[in-house]
Amino acid sequence: MSFLKFILKNPFRRKNSAILAIVGIAIGIIVIVALGGITEGLINTFEDTIHAGGADFTVSGKETGDSAYGTNTISSNWTEKIANVSGVDEAFPIYVVLTSVGDDYMNTLIGIDPNGTALADISMKEGRIFEDNSSEAILGEIYAEDNNYSVGDTIDIDRQEFKVVGIYQTGDQNMAGGVFTSISKVGDLMDDEDSISNIYVKVNKGEDPQTVADRIDSQYGDNITTVTSVMEMTQMADMLNMLQASTWAISLLAIVVGGLGIINTMLMSVFERTREIGVLKAVGWSNGKILTMIVGESLVITIVSAIIGSLIGFVACTLLGPLIGMEPLFTPKIFIQAFAIAIVVGIIGGIYPALKAVRLPPTEALRYE
Amino acid sequence: MDVVDMKNVYKSYEDGKIKALNGINLTINEGEFVSIIGPSGSGKSTLLNMLGALDIPDSGTINVAGRDLSSNKKLHEFRAKEIGFIFQLHNLIPNISVAENIEIPMYTQKMSSNEMRSRALKLLDDVGLKDKADIKPNKLSGGERQRVAIARALANDPSIILADEPTGSLDSKTSNKILKQLIDLHDTKNVTLIIVTHDMDVAKLADRVIEVLDGEIISAGDDSLINSKIDV
Repeated sequence: MSFLKFILKNPFRRKNSAILAIVGIAIGIIVIVALGGITEGLINTFEDTIHAGGADFTVSGKETGDSAYGTNTISSNWTEKIANVSGVDEAFPIYVVLTSVGDDYMNTLIGIDPNGTALADISMKEGRIFEDNSSEAILGEIYAEDNNYSVGDTIDIDRQEFKVVGIYQTGDQNMAGGVFTSISKVGDLMDDEDSISNIYVKVNKGEDPQTVADRIDSQYGDNITTVTSVMEMTQMADMLNMLQASTWAISLLAIVVGGLGIINTMLMSVFERTREIGVLKAVGWSNGKILTMIVGESLVITIVSAIIGSLIGFVACTLLGPLIGMEPLFTPKIFIQAFAIAIVVGIIGGIYPALKAVRLPPTEALRYE
Repeated sequence: MDVVDMKNVYKSYEDGKIKALNGINLTINEGEFVSIIGPSGSGKSTLLNMLGALDIPDSGTINVAGRDLSSNKKLHEFRAKEIGFIFQLHNLIPNISVAENIEIPMYTQKMSSNEMRSRALKLLDDVGLKDKADIKPNKLSGGERQRVAIARALANDPSIILADEPTGSLDSKTSNKILKQLIDLHDTKNVTLIIVTHDMDVAKLADRVIEVLDGEIISAGDDSLINSKIDV
């Protein structure tokens, strides 16, 4: 029998006590895994939310200052330059002009690539997106309502006739009162195809938008500027940090509770095996070997707990999560964290009883009744 | 050749209130079978613990199998290599098999699991229990358990076997069997056998009987070894 097999066998000598210790630690692990899965799920959902609608930030000409809808223009060459910056996933230019729309002498007309409307944070309420370089337009719901337009109507834009193919909605009140068409069409209307107003930028998933924005600023800051939704990002980050902090707080609690449980179990084990430890010393076992044995036994209990706790946490959360409207996400990090905690608890819980055993004089241990 | 050489060994407990050994001088020859007798509290077990490097003296020198045992340095290595202990209670580990119990001292040696297993089976064969190798100790009789303890004591091929009341908890018939086994092993393996007992019948089986009283040797079975301070 190998020394490892001996260590694996020993904790289950007192089955009830071992089972109780395993249950106690496994509960902590279940909480860590479940909470980790929920937190990761929320983080993923938040990231999806942040990335699903709207750009992460906007690039404007230096002279337009902080106004994302300023009417100053920059060269359309900038779109390609920005798209090539590391960390940028998509970059779509928009061309914002003030021109006659319907009965209004002046209204906001926004030109964008039909594929880039998602970055403008608009969604279709009715109809469809306009086609590229066509005389089609979509109207903001406020504009359409105020001016009694609906899908299928025609509308004059800069004295040209456009077909209303859709009504869009958005949380941005300015845009809700405006009109979108393709950017190439706006270029035609303005007779200026080399100019754009802003560039909507979406960063790669997992990238920090602020970092990418800073990268653009440092590279091209002399000519252009970036505007990020810093407030929104900060709030999100604060919330995620709070969630992660609570996971760690619960993990810490699990370490303390599990640690006390395992110390108790191992102390009882050492106490009950005092004579046996005396015999091990008598047959020549070193203190290091006895210490390894007891810490090893403690680790066996906590690692078994980690396996059971991880399985239960994973299965329970996967089955129950959707019932309460949560989509847990289990990454290797969660299980590594659970096992790391189990190992730490095992070492902490085993070391004190092991030291007690090591310090026992063999003659006293052998006399123990 | 002396395998044990003790000179002026003193040992006390509880800040000197209990004088367990009080100036012991003793030599034991290699391969000798010696019994140590004396009443409870006479110091015979303390003497055995000193010989087995389980404790160190307050003063004096102990040399066993060529090793100075006066300090605590790496005594476990000495115990693992040179000493085989047999206790009154077998002290077998209950949750592992008989053969695995015999393998326990072998963890101190560089041996593979297979080597450990085959050596354990050989030792079990020597004590007539090879067929019980894979059962748990609680399925054995008291005598069989003590035979397993003897096999365990021989696990690392020690030069000295120290037995503390090895038949103390056995009936006379089983006790005789165990003693015969010990004597046979002593004869065949030429190992030094030191038995602590309070039973004169057991003690008489030895080549030499050492009598201990109040921490002093009052008779060493050889006039030259009698503690000079004792005038009995």
